[in-house]
Amino acid sequence: MALRSVLGLFTDENVVADAMDSLRAAGYTSSEYELLTGVPYPEGTFGEEEPVHKLYRWPLVGAACGFIVGLVLTTGTQLAYPLVTGGKPILGIPPMAIIIYEGTMLGAIVFTVIGIIFESRLPRLFMGAYDPRITEGYIGVTVTAEEDRMGQAERVLREAGAEDITRGWETPR
Amino acid sequence: MQEHIQLTPKEINQELLSGVLGTPKWWLGLVAFLLLVFLTGAGAFGYMLNKGVGVTGLNRPIMWGFFMTNFVFWIGISHAGIMISAILRLTQAEWRRPVTRAAEVLTVFSLTAALMAAPLVHVGRPWRAALWVFPYDFGRGVWPNIRSPFIWDPAAVMTYLTASTLFVFVALIPDMAVIRDRATGKWARQIYGYLCMGWRGTPRQWKLQTVAGILLSALVLPVFVSVHSIVSWDFAINIGVDGWHSTIFAPYFIIGAIHSGVSAVTMVMALMVWLWKWDKILRPDHFDAIGRLLIIVATTWFFFFIVEFFFAIYTKEAPELALRELQIFTRPYVFLFLIFIITAYFLPVPLWMFKKVRRNVKWMFWTTVSVNVGMWLERFLIFVPSLARKTPLEFNWGTYHPSIIEMLMVAATFAWVAMGMLLFSKVFPLIPIFDIKEGMIVRDEVKIGRAIVPASIRE
Amino acid sequence: MASGNGAHGALALATPAQVNRDLLERHQRRTGDTYWRAMALFGALFVLGIIGFLMRLSDGFSDKAVWGYYAAVFAFILTTAQAAPLVAIAPRIAKGHWRRPISRAAELWSVVGLFNLLLFIPLLWVLPSLEDTRRTLWFFDAQDPNFSQVPIFSPHIWATLALVGLVVTGFMLLWVSALPDLAAVRDSASGWRQRWAARLAPNWQGTSQQWNFLYHRTGILGAFYFIMLIFVHFLISVDFAMALVPGWIDALFPITHAANSLQAGTATLLLTMFCLRQFGGYKDYIGLDQFWALGKLMFALSLLWFWFWFSSFIVLWYGKKPSEQAALQLMMVGPYLPAFMAAFVLNFLVPLFTMIWNPLRKSIWGPTLIATSILIGTLFDRIRIYVPAYSVPGIGNRFVEKHELSEVPKSILPDMADIFMIVGAIGGAIFIYLLASKVLPVINVWEQKEMLLYRVHKPFHRIEVLVLGKRD
Repeated sequence: MALRSVLGLFTDENVVADAMDSLRAAGYTSSEYELLTGVPYPEGTFGEEEPVHKLYRWPLVGAACGFIVGLVLTTGTQLAYPLVTGGKPILGIPPMAIIIYEGTMLGAIVFTVIGIIFESRLPRLFMGAYDPRITEGYIGVTVTAEEDRMGQAERVLREAGAEDITRGWETPR
Repeated sequence: MQEHIQLTPKEINQELLSGVLGTPKWWLGLVAFLLLVFLTGAGAFGYMLNKGVGVTGLNRPIMWGFFMTNFVFWIGISHAGIMISAILRLTQAEWRRPVTRAAEVLTVFSLTAALMAAPLVHVGRPWRAALWVFPYDFGRGVWPNIRSPFIWDPAAVMTYLTASTLFVFVALIPDMAVIRDRATGKWARQIYGYLCMGWRGTPRQWKLQTVAGILLSALVLPVFVSVHSIVSWDFAINIGVDGWHSTIFAPYFIIGAIHSGVSAVTMVMALMVWLWKWDKILRPDHFDAIGRLLIIVATTWFFFFIVEFFFAIYTKEAPELALRELQIFTRPYVFLFLIFIITAYFLPVPLWMFKKVRRNVKWMFWTTVSVNVGMWLERFLIFVPSLARKTPLEFNWGTYHPSIIEMLMVAATFAWVAMGMLLFSKVFPLIPIFDIKEGMIVRDEVKIGRAIVPASIRE
Repeated sequence: MASGNGAHGALALATPAQVNRDLLERHQRRTGDTYWRAMALFGALFVLGIIGFLMRLSDGFSDKAVWGYYAAVFAFILTTAQAAPLVAIAPRIAKGHWRRPISRAAELWSVVGLFNLLLFIPLLWVLPSLEDTRRTLWFFDAQDPNFSQVPIFSPHIWATLALVGLVVTGFMLLWVSALPDLAAVRDSASGWRQRWAARLAPNWQGTSQQWNFLYHRTGILGAFYFIMLIFVHFLISVDFAMALVPGWIDALFPITHAANSLQAGTATLLLTMFCLRQFGGYKDYIGLDQFWALGKLMFALSLLWFWFWFSSFIVLWYGKKPSEQAALQLMMVGPYLPAFMAAFVLNFLVPLFTMIWNPLRKSIWGPTLIATSILIGTLFDRIRIYVPAYSVPGIGNRFVEKHELSEVPKSILPDMADIFMIVGAIGGAIFIYLLASKVLPVINVWEQKEMLLYRVHKPFHRIEVLVLGKRD
């Protein structure tokens, strides 16, 4: 069944927190409703759950990959073309370390950025119910559920004090 | 601070997107002028490609002149972004908020300017640079020599460029969502929608944005340190040129880069106040804070400068002493040296001691311009006099007079960076919108008796 | 983020008066057994050190090589204990609130400077005069009329003056920043403590003029202590190590020496904090915030350790000049390779691969363990620099070539006297610190009280947040 979503717009932070309580009381699980803000509020301001992420693993994996690539590149190219320069050993560790270091850091950073995007659940192909006013200071609460539970969600949001309600499709019709 | 002005999210959007959603009157004219300067430099480059590097003033034994000076100068400026952005993020300094984006963007454009100055222009035949930089078997079994610092250099600069571009991009995602929601044109909305990848502002996304800011800062900082260290080793590991073979070069270059870079950021801050009239967001206390930072940075740099110089004399080796004599007491370098030391340290630092100066946009702008004049000359004075007395067995005693061709190309890099910043400002906000909004939320006050102390919310 | 008072739960001490009472009571309480046991232990080590020193003294000063370990342990205390006060100074200038419970513990280490000044005296006899034609900071040259007038004992004179200056600055800083606390002790204590405090802070009443004076002077003295410390490191590292090794020209080395001291000073303070928390009963004051903030700093400084070392190393390694190769051979890859490797592992690799883990960095025991590793590493680092430097053949002999190291001497292992002196000097430093901690409250009372003004807990919608004010 197609998922639909409804968005309630609020201006007062306390009202938002109450609205989320009412949604919880009305039987919506935390995966069904979401908070949308235009600003990073301190965590837990609205009584929302603390998001869990595994971002810290990404740079480690990236660093390991970058290290290996750097190592292979530096040893491989020097062994393939063993020209002694400046009396340095073919596989001199200090210069190799510099290239390997850059490779490691590059790997770590690229993977971190990929990780950030992935862990943020981006890109999001369908916006669902959304309102441009969110980036202007309004706070949105969306409920994403089956079509038949939309009416109830809308009612809960309106009763909680939503100033405006919009509906949207979560998946294409 | 009473100076802080509390703004609503809507006002912040309007204020900071003024340059993106509308076009300031001066914008087009300025960009056109910079483009003209840049194209003139590009023309000079074309002429040099056609005629050969003989059209420059480079002359044996001085083969590193304006181009290399400019290269190191721009690498130095590029250190501003990460210095300001990463260190202040990690230390959670509140005053970083309006400054980070411009500093990071300055990093990106000055790095491209550096790439333009050395690998593209300086090598004379830029396509050949590819042969010795990229680990690809262009030459049938001939691979790059990783023992050469000229390989470390591109590796570090490219890593830094990639990293800082990604850094800018990640912090831009929420702001692009703001533009998506504000843009009026259908195409603009579409494009920004794609660029921000459907950002909605869930707690998860914000949390990752915050963690990303700190994590990426922590990762970019070590890269930033490596870049200018490696650039300095282009010089320092050489034993053939007097005055270069010094272990202090890496930290000395880094601190010099921070000195000129933070100064450049101050210049950009002043320009943001003047051009976009963002004086409600960039307050005098931001200038005050960066001014205090500059005093510390400049003095540390000066200390390194003295130590570097001192240990050259410590060797008591005749060529080294003769070089210092040339650098400091011989015409024409003596004039350059005096200008350098006055503009880089003795003029600005005593001025910054005064709170009035630190809080005055005009003073801060001109003193930091002065620093960068001095720091450009500093690099020139490290390279050219040293090369002029390259080796005792040298029989070519040419001197160096920069030609107009070189000057045009140097001017082009400045135009390029300025133009880049302006073009960027037309499509993205130069001040991070979400960071300013967050600053407004965590802003608080503590009352102690009758005094009100500015405070911020800490989780 | 670091918020100041480690234990958020210490709500019982919500008012300045309560903090005042609590801390002064702790200060004046009868000393516990742990303290006496520690005093006995470190006092015994100190005595052992004196015995070791007398044994060494019986060898005389003519053979410089036997004094290498003594110089190393002097440099070690300079690098650790004398740098620890900086950990109070830097965050005070940056107005970081988290420093407040630990700033006194840091400044108290400046007392140990006096002890190190005593340790320094024999080195004046060990270090040869400038007549041996070595390269020097003072450019003495008997042949050159311009430079033959330079006093041949310049290194001795200036290093002594600088060290005295550092110690005096340290004491002044400690005294000025303790004035309000001394006044509190003066007003509340009895016995010798009261008499002491009344003598040291006779006029402190807490007028706004006095407070302004205090803020001003602690800032200036702090900055001055920092400058003096860098200067002392500069003189000691060049005159008492680098100049002794022919051909070792490393412009970065004095700065490395000082940078190492920032790392080791942070580590010293972390260990001190751990002891105060664990054995001193200050759990309510020193908490995770302090360990976390200092742990991060120490991590960054460990990375800096590598960067400074590598910056020197790559230039010398790549340059391949024989004089540079000999210097590397002497202190890194030659006879002292094990000591260097120990320093490298303990100062850089161990912190790097442990401190990148959040759970370890954000704990009490994690940074403490790493601080121990760094302190041991720093001792090895000082040994691999000072011991070979004093064992170079021809020190003090003007007929031996001084521009390039002709032969790399064999490694010198510590004998009984050296071991006694090392443990004795470290034990003595701790012994003096323990003594000093009885004179002044080991937690800064006024800074702790002041924090209560700037710190507010208040509800922010559904959470309680900490609001921290910052004085302009």
